[in-house]
Amino acid sequence: MGIKGLNRLIADNVPSAIKSAEMKTFFGRKVAIDASMCLYQYLIAVRQSDGSQLTNEEGQTTSHLSGFFYRTIRMVENGLKPMYVFDGKPPELKAHELTKRTERKKAAEAEIEKIKETASAEELSKFQRRTVRATREQNEEVKELLKLMGIPYVEAPCEAEAQCAELASAGKVYAAASEDMDTLCYGPPYLLRHLTYAESRKIPIDEVAAGTVVEGLELTRESFIDLCILLGCDYCETIKGIGPVNALKLIKEHGSIEKILQVMEENPTKYAKNVVPEGWLYKEARQLFLKPEVIDGSTIDLKWNQPDLEGLIKFMCEKNGFSEERIKNGAAKLSKGAKSGVQGRLDSFFKVKAGSATKSPAVKKAAASSKVTKTKVKTSFRKGKR
Amino acid sequence: MLEGKFEEASLLKKVIDSIKDCVALCNFNCQPDGISVQAVDDSRVLLVSLLIGAESFSDYRCDRDITLGIDLKSFSKIIRCGANEDYLTLIAEDSPDSVALIFEDKNKDKTSEYSLKLMDIDAEFLEIDEMEFDSVITLPSSEFQKICRDLNTLSESLQIVVTKDSVKFASKGDSGNGNVIIKPQTNLDKPEESVKVDLKQPVDLTFGLRFIADIIKATPLSSTVTIKLSDKTPALFEYKLPSGYLRFYLAPKFNEDEEES
Repeated sequence: MGIKGLNRLIADNVPSAIKSAEMKTFFGRKVAIDASMCLYQYLIAVRQSDGSQLTNEEGQTTSHLSGFFYRTIRMVENGLKPMYVFDGKPPELKAHELTKRTERKKAAEAEIEKIKETASAEELSKFQRRTVRATREQNEEVKELLKLMGIPYVEAPCEAEAQCAELASAGKVYAAASEDMDTLCYGPPYLLRHLTYAESRKIPIDEVAAGTVVEGLELTRESFIDLCILLGCDYCETIKGIGPVNALKLIKEHGSIEKILQVMEENPTKYAKNVVPEGWLYKEARQLFLKPEVIDGSTIDLKWNQPDLEGLIKFMCEKNGFSEERIKNGAAKLSKGAKSGVQGRLDSFFKVKAGSATKSPAVKKAAASSKVTKTKVKTSFRKGKR
Repeated sequence: MLEGKFEEASLLKKVIDSIKDCVALCNFNCQPDGISVQAVDDSRVLLVSLLIGAESFSDYRCDRDITLGIDLKSFSKIIRCGANEDYLTLIAEDSPDSVALIFEDKNKDKTSEYSLKLMDIDAEFLEIDEMEFDSVITLPSSEFQKICRDLNTLSESLQIVVTKDSVKFASKGDSGNGNVIIKPQTNLDKPEESVKVDLKQPVDLTFGLRFIADIIKATPLSSTVTIKLSDKTPALFEYKLPSGYLRFYLAPKFNEDEEES
């Protein structure tokens, strides 16, 4: 999943590209959410107190419905306009990664079988979570639920993150929301992380500005993608023995994987430890990031509608055993959210400049070395002069 | 070096009380002609622009530009330590780590000295161009405060409609609706009680009342408030200081259908 170590690399090298904020500061923003990732996330995380999934009378899992219903409402209550994007068929290059995931699942199942008798409930639940996979029916159920809630969704031809990024680039939404850092490779203006986390975890939302990341690392979009491939993505293998620090250094020095391979070939002794995978498909992977299979964002129309209360009660309460009172409550919040106007922002009228120019030299020095961000500022009192 | 003495501590106290609830941290830029602040709330809907001109002080000296990064919550706590009528002097070095506040009692032989640690605040700055406004309203600030507080009980939004001969403030809520209409009038004995409306074009705008609730905290600063409005652009609410101003720029709300993407 995602790009290995990219988050850390950005936090270390371009801290200004990541801003943490509470959900309410995103009011009025439209966001495209990777639904397939959410589905998986809710199936794993939404549990009863004993660690088992929520189910209806027939014993079918309803954890995903609870997740989509309540967490979407939380966003609407905070004034956001969420919409969802579902995965289409996975790209061929991902087959290898998917086989690995199936193997992991099988291993976890085998482990459960082995320790079933002796293990504690907690341990069992740990392995059970590893066997979770979203079914086609669950995908369909979520779509039905969203329709009833009046929340728009799009079915992507291929990867959902790519379609989210396309919608953001086309200006149809403000940001793409996913936990997968590879979303950045598709070049959306902003990536939101932790948007769909449970409120009780109290984790702020991270807004990652893709442009600032690329600029801050002194790369181009192409070389940034090459960096991500070196770090490790879902589509191909990596060169052995190159960690995040080295990967960034090599890309900055040589500009592309082609050049790096050339240099490695010319200095076999220096790079003896670095094994390049045989028949490495980095070019194909790069192409998938640069030109992903997506629906042109400008042709998609997003409309938020009033919820269908009757339909919701039928689907959620009668069929899936949710409390009628809670569903009614939720529907009322959705209805209010769909009605209220959208608050404008000053940054769409005035130009934003970073930092003020009138700083004294001492302050400039301090600001450059300590890289203070808004959230950290509380702890950074000015310490002595020079 | 900065040295600024206020005849009365209350002026600065009122200024800080007016802005501390919408912005937590801000840079005070001290320059030879006075102290200025620009700060935006986290959601970038409300912008505060403050100028305390040199004439607002009884003594003011600032030879070169100094930036004071201030946590307003802590600053406000210190300012509360002095009495309203005290002399208040702000002192800071050229590259300061802290700012000193000295209160002097006018009747007793008593001085209180406090210092506040400064912070490096990496604030964003919005470039505001001179704007032309379609209509400009000036009314008693206490009147505006009352209207907003009353209508805030009904709804989250305040609609302001300016036509040729009246200004309508309206709010619609689940429990009921409210309308307050005021008309221009001139009060010769008490000019600050007058209501003035300059209209180039009628406007109809809606604002979030929770932001307006922050703006009206500036009411004690000035007997009048001037509201400048244009269609689909941020409104300007201005409270005049003896020398300088406290301005709020507030982005309006849009209806879904008229909003561009």
